[in-house]
Amino acid sequence: MEKQVTMPKLRPEMERGVLCAWLKEEGETVTAGEPLFEIETDKVVNQIEATESGVLKKQLYEEGDTVSVETPVAVLETK
Amino acid sequence: MEKKPEWLKVRFNQDAVNEVAELMRDLKLNTVCKEANCPNLGECYRQHTATFMILGSVCTRNCRFCNVTTGHPLPPDPDEPMNVALAAKKLGLRHVVLTCSTRDDLPDGGAEQFAKTVRAIREQCPGTTVETLISDLQGDTAALDVVIAAHPEVLNHNVETVKELQKAVRSKATYERSLSVLRYCKQKDPTILTKTGFMVGLGETEEQISVLMDDILATGCDILTIGQYLQPTAKHYPLARYATPEDFARYKQMALAKGFRHVASAPLARSSYKAWEALEETHDLY
Repeated sequence: MEKQVTMPKLRPEMERGVLCAWLKEEGETVTAGEPLFEIETDKVVNQIEATESGVLKKQLYEEGDTVSVETPVAVLETK
Repeated sequence: MEKKPEWLKVRFNQDAVNEVAELMRDLKLNTVCKEANCPNLGECYRQHTATFMILGSVCTRNCRFCNVTTGHPLPPDPDEPMNVALAAKKLGLRHVVLTCSTRDDLPDGGAEQFAKTVRAIREQCPGTTVETLISDLQGDTAALDVVIAAHPEVLNHNVETVKELQKAVRSKATYERSLSVLRYCKQKDPTILTKTGFMVGLGETEEQISVLMDDILATGCDILTIGQYLQPTAKHYPLARYATPEDFARYKQMALAKGFRHVASAPLARSSYKAWEALEETHDLY
């Protein structure tokens, strides 16, 4: 089953985030709890963990892209 | 934005933070974790811990390092003390940290709300220890007496920065007043552990840090926290530098050598981060 992974809202006033690095390549297996990508905010770099296990089917944005919160950034194929 | 060093990476898991976030929302409670956009929120919420921010999320001061909203706050919520206690009970907290927005608009600065919340926690969560991270209460000793009488195990008040940067960074607070708050509380009830913290990365020198530690220690303070200043937005006080983990290790050694009982010094150390560890290490005092 395909599941969309979205840009999280890390704080109430956050509108968008910079996806600064992918930590998994397309086709790689991802286990729930493993970091999937990084978002840089004013204070720190946040490593966003996958909340489900599966295979990273598609990265929808490139490193350096600015993405609005709750917008899909990846497609995960789950069992 | 300057590139973040490797040691400023944190993990975040939406599912793991939801439970605490929903509990706070249901009980109409605020956490400083959320209001200050704390980088440790993901880790602390995941571990079912949080620092309660009583007296509302709107502050009457406008410190240049702080992310908390400034404005005209609402009157204290009479249900808040019990709701904090119920949340602490539900989370199974063994050590509760209470902080507040600074309420210069209230005659007692919110001291009574602190005392009521401590008492509610005592009633609902027997055996749980409490730490009050207070504002300077404008140096009002009658208000401080109200908090002291509630007898939290730890009374924390942050000096925030070295003497030379106080005016540039803090609003309405002063170095001397903050030190006198710590001194007064320790003198009034030596069985309460006193604690303070400051940030580095605002432009202070190592010599100024050393003098700051001496001045804090002279108040009888037991516990010290030292963390990296992280600029909340481009409008806040500009970041001067990222101190390295080695710098923080050196500050810790410096503080311990001077005589502090417990020192938490790390880039992401915050006033209440793993606050129970400091209490466990120093608990023979009470």
